[in-house]
Amino acid sequence: MDTSTPAVFVNGELLKLHMCQRVRTVVQVMQNEGGTVLGQSTDNQQLTVKGATSVPVTHFMEVIGVADGPQSIRAEICTDFGSNFDTSSFNGLCKLANGEFKNFYM
Amino acid sequence: MYASHQDGGASHFYGGGFMPSQATQTPDQAGSSKTRSSTTSTTVPLTIKQITEAYHLNDERADFLIDGVEPSLVRLLGRVLNKAERVTDVSFLLDDGTGSIEVTRWVSDSFDTDEMTKIENGMYIVLIGKLKAFQGKRHIGAHAVRPVQDFNQITLHFMECIHAHLDNSRKATAVPATTSAMNDMRAYQTLNVGTGASGDIRDVVLSVFQEPASLARENGLHVNEIIRRLGLQEQKIREAIEYHVEVGNIYSTIDDDHYKSACNG
Repeated sequence: MDTSTPAVFVNGELLKLHMCQRVRTVVQVMQNEGGTVLGQSTDNQQLTVKGATSVPVTHFMEVIGVADGPQSIRAEICTDFGSNFDTSSFNGLCKLANGEFKNFYM
Repeated sequence: MYASHQDGGASHFYGGGFMPSQATQTPDQAGSSKTRSSTTSTTVPLTIKQITEAYHLNDERADFLIDGVEPSLVRLLGRVLNKAERVTDVSFLLDDGTGSIEVTRWVSDSFDTDEMTKIENGMYIVLIGKLKAFQGKRHIGAHAVRPVQDFNQITLHFMECIHAHLDNSRKATAVPATTSAMNDMRAYQTLNVGTGASGDIRDVVLSVFQEPASLARENGLHVNEIIRRLGLQEQKIREAIEYHVEVGNIYSTIDDDHYKSACNG
């Protein structure tokens, strides 16, 4: 894991603004096939996560990796966040982390 | 709400007790085999980026200034990396996505050992500890470490970092309505920002000018550099600068925004 590069909090919409940068987000797993996860972001967009570890469908999964497409992440680390996760709060945090308080994180 | 410590110190981990204006007790673990002394403390939730940008007040005392506050304890949340266990301590790198910092947890009895046994590389943890510096490098002396069990705590922690910053910044920038009518002593008494004994803005501003690096600069420091480093309101910093100019501690150099210490450190 590259600990020297910060990972920006993003949702589906904000991912586009950080192409080729290190990002972190949480998706709800909709489909998991051969290391590629199709997930729903906290702002209800579909994201593709490549190189993801196996996380049960319907569970929430945190992805830290590099944004390699407007709706795609190449994963470095995936963490199973279970089935209890507040998507609206995380979505709000993503907006704050990319707006007025981005200096806290980047 | 935040001053309560009836929950065995859990409030330090789950959102309470971090407002610096309210005294809190250090965590007293229920069922612990050891007794922790009670001291007044401020626990501030921070990101590691905030720590790396914190202003270091004094090399000897290892005190830091963040948003105008000297936190007694800090609360961090992140991933454990490179865990190393030794006889007297356990050390690891904590990465919260905004940066990474070395953490040391001294283990002196079975309670400490048991606590750290549960911690594994890659795991999300919350820690309470003291921010320290040695030879210019910052690190954390952890007092308590707990695994994150509900991942909503990650969102909560980062929200609380913002909340604490806004609250501390608001107190630091409170401006009396009749500042011009007050004398200097009253003006600083009304600040009430919860700062420590050395937190007087004038002393802090002067200390920046008297740093060796500042003394070495021919034209001194720009006012904006002071503002950026201390995270305080421009008006307060300019008032402190004006005071020091009047008493002869600093002087303006190339323009009205550049000042330099009149002392040679």
